[in-house]
Amino acid sequence: MTPRPARVQLFVTCLVDRFFPAAGHAAVQVLERLGVEVAVPADQTCCGQPAFNGGFAEEATAMARATIDVLSRSDDPVVVPSGSCADMIVNHYPELLAGDPVYGPKAKALAARTFEFSRFLVDVLGADLRTAPDGPTVAYHASCHGLRGLGLSEAPRRLLRAVAGDRCADLPDAETCCGFGGLFAVKMGAVSAAMLEAKLDAIERSGADLVAATDVSCLMHIGGGLHRRGSRARTRHITEIIADTLHD
Amino acid sequence: MTSPRDRILGSIRDSLLRAQLPAEHHGPAAGPEIPVATPATEALAAQFSAALTALAGHVHRASGAAGAADIIVGIARENRAAAFISWDEAAIECPGLLAALAARGLSRVTYDVSSDAGRRLSEVDALAGIGLGITGAHAALAENGGLVLVSGPGRGRLPSILPPVHVAVVAERRLRPSLADLVREEPRLLAGGSNVVIVAGPSRTADIEMTLTHGVHGPKHLHVVLMA
Amino acid sequence: MTEGALAFHRRIDAALADAGLRAALALTTARLAGGRAGAFGALPDAEPSRDAARRARAAAVARLDTHLEQFERAVTAHGGSVHWAETAADARRIVTTIARERGIRLAVKSKSMATEEVELNAALEQAGVRVVETDLGEFVVQLGDDRPSHIITPIIHRSRQDVAALFREKLGATPEEVADIPAMTAFARRTLRTEFLQAGMGISGVNLAVADTGSICIVTNEGNGRLTTSVPRVHVALMGLERIVATAADLTAVLRVLARSATGQVSSVYTNIVTGPRRRGSVAAEGDADGPDELHIVILDNGRSRMLGSDLAEILYCVRCGACLNVCPVYRAIGGHAYGGVYPGPVGSVVMPGLHGVDAWAELAQASSLCGACRDACPVKIDLPRLLLAVRQQAAARRLSPLWLRAALPLYAAVATRPRVYRWAGRAAARLAALVQHDGWIRRLPGPLAAWTDSRDFPVPAARSFLEAHLARKGGAR
Repeated sequence: MTPRPARVQLFVTCLVDRFFPAAGHAAVQVLERLGVEVAVPADQTCCGQPAFNGGFAEEATAMARATIDVLSRSDDPVVVPSGSCADMIVNHYPELLAGDPVYGPKAKALAARTFEFSRFLVDVLGADLRTAPDGPTVAYHASCHGLRGLGLSEAPRRLLRAVAGDRCADLPDAETCCGFGGLFAVKMGAVSAAMLEAKLDAIERSGADLVAATDVSCLMHIGGGLHRRGSRARTRHITEIIADTLHD
Repeated sequence: MTSPRDRILGSIRDSLLRAQLPAEHHGPAAGPEIPVATPATEALAAQFSAALTALAGHVHRASGAAGAADIIVGIARENRAAAFISWDEAAIECPGLLAALAARGLSRVTYDVSSDAGRRLSEVDALAGIGLGITGAHAALAENGGLVLVSGPGRGRLPSILPPVHVAVVAERRLRPSLADLVREEPRLLAGGSNVVIVAGPSRTADIEMTLTHGVHGPKHLHVVLMA
Repeated sequence: MTEGALAFHRRIDAALADAGLRAALALTTARLAGGRAGAFGALPDAEPSRDAARRARAAAVARLDTHLEQFERAVTAHGGSVHWAETAADARRIVTTIARERGIRLAVKSKSMATEEVELNAALEQAGVRVVETDLGEFVVQLGDDRPSHIITPIIHRSRQDVAALFREKLGATPEEVADIPAMTAFARRTLRTEFLQAGMGISGVNLAVADTGSICIVTNEGNGRLTTSVPRVHVALMGLERIVATAADLTAVLRVLARSATGQVSSVYTNIVTGPRRRGSVAAEGDADGPDELHIVILDNGRSRMLGSDLAEILYCVRCGACLNVCPVYRAIGGHAYGGVYPGPVGSVVMPGLHGVDAWAELAQASSLCGACRDACPVKIDLPRLLLAVRQQAAARRLSPLWLRAALPLYAAVATRPRVYRWAGRAAARLAALVQHDGWIRRLPGPLAAWTDSRDFPVPAARSFLEAHLARKGGAR
């Protein structure tokens, strides 16, 4: 286990920053409550994943270098409230910049100290969380990049079990892609919609009030679908679900 | 003037120079861990039997030609087969079997397929109506209920593919845990005949609506007689 | 969008609208993927087995020229003939010549994607050779003048009623003969038995060749592979030049994961290994009593050697098991025909552009959310998402992306590398969105983004971003 750091940097991610800031605020709250100081570099923007996935390697590289610069002024570990953005930094930055004599080593160094939020809580902080006495039933959707890129499976589930206890509902096909896929959702809209439908049906079968995930990208897609359907189920990011339990 | 062969090999060599193949971890090229001790024959027989039965094959036990012949005649009767094609007796490794079968009224049809195209067609066609094929086996594999058949003199291919019923008479000492074990033991086995086949159960398909049926082209019934 | 891309999208729409197809796909892929998961779950050394299979394939491809030369020598030493086909046209010419020179009028075929790739059947028919597919699914495809929709189970898209109708219409089957699936199967067996017995040539593919012994391995469940390669006097095998391993031990390493990945079976019913034609002794009694008198192996390039030098080279490890199709949520939704080529699914989305050009086929690689399920299912651990990205990079470099994307992504990158412009642009977008939102959601996005709102609502950007709020609270940067 990595030694417990006194301070971390938060890489909030573009979608959390602009669309779901509450998830970012929740991340800060939870970390501070667990005794970790949170620094937020002001000039952070986007990890570059949309360009990377689109095959625009040059643009992705430019954004990668910029992000590496922002996060390398300090050696503090980086916590990311997104599996896919953490995967981008940890797995794809070193690959993208392999041929770069300056940024190659920097990318590797950054990758070594970057953690998705729930992994940081479980594997680094060994966080001990209280179960909230009551609340909605929660089903966990396993976002793909975190799951298969970072091996993220136990950590978020353990956190949810800790805070929601027996209010955890099993989501059928939890590890099947929801169909977001970044620009895929728009470039292949019809297929994305078909995959979303399967995910929404599974959510309905689970009977859960709340769908949790490590990625707001999945949640905005699922949430948009739930809202269009008029479903009573809602989406909530894992940082917020944990922060909810901190309010006594 | 280069040939297609030279151009293809040249193109491969050029590509390998540019190659962007991923770095591989080196290690033994084949096979995960070898089991420390080979299980006893009885354990292998039980595992083989369970595996083949699960695939809708049948396993019988016998010792001696008479016992084997009784079982085979029973199978022939069940399937209304009056005659059979087979390996030579030496290849089946059950001395006296063919005589015992003849004595019980089951007649063997011998063949040697011609290399002449026309004669070959009529010879093969003549074998089409025969209801039973009898072979031995080089090995029986416990892992998957498989039989290893090696073609060669006295060990034709047709007895195990043409008739709707295939009976293999196999000595228990030929049981092996798996194909990997067998190949480790006999590295030159797979090229030991023009045809080496591992048969795991009767022919099957699920092409229509994922519904399993047996006996599409290969035998519909596979029986193994394990000889003590 | 290119013509090919537009056609792809039309095929996708048609597939998504076909409820029968979607139900069949759901059933089949669940069964096959479930089989695979069960089989690997039961293997005590699942991961080491995949690693060993990968090493076997990687080692072969890394020295492909050496292994092919060794293979050719060994095949020839056993009395077989090796032919080298640079293109699909060459392959067609080689096989039709072999048939014509021997006066062959009827050929039986066991399933081979490579023969479909080179469109062999049509060429043979034109040369006066009747070709009969013997794999039950391919037989039905041939009768229906159709195309297979899956690498392993070709007729997922056909119901039993479809098959019954085809047998009655094209083969004169009686109602009893097509009353149920066992009856239809028995009818097919009888019909095809005649063809096996009368054919002058058997044509097969090659699952894997073994370099040091000169052997080829052909794997089937039905037994048509054995009949095709044993009964007719002449056997022709078409093999992609990458489908090779160095040794018998390497073959067993791949066989350990092959059937388990394809269907969940421990092994296919028939693992058929052919080394040369029937063997001759000095007297008849010392030779084989049966088997083909001639074996011809046609080694097919058709773009593979070039792909070996590209960033798509890793796809050459593929053993065509179909596991990636069965776990792909996109394939499950649209099926094989939508992809429009011989190879569908994740592997097809790399192979089609790789062999036949990015310009015509790059759009296939866009039909993926990069979820990674394919990589997890691949028995030789091919990093399919990385290869799909490589195709996308080639497509972007060739300016094949839609215009709006070619404008938007560089613009986004320019903004995202300028933090103050980024924050300003975010605020502007939030203000704009506030005008068209309805209780926190946007119901219609403009232009190409309408594809989102066609089926789901879009969240409104927050009035105040995280950075704005947090930094205001904490009083400044860092």
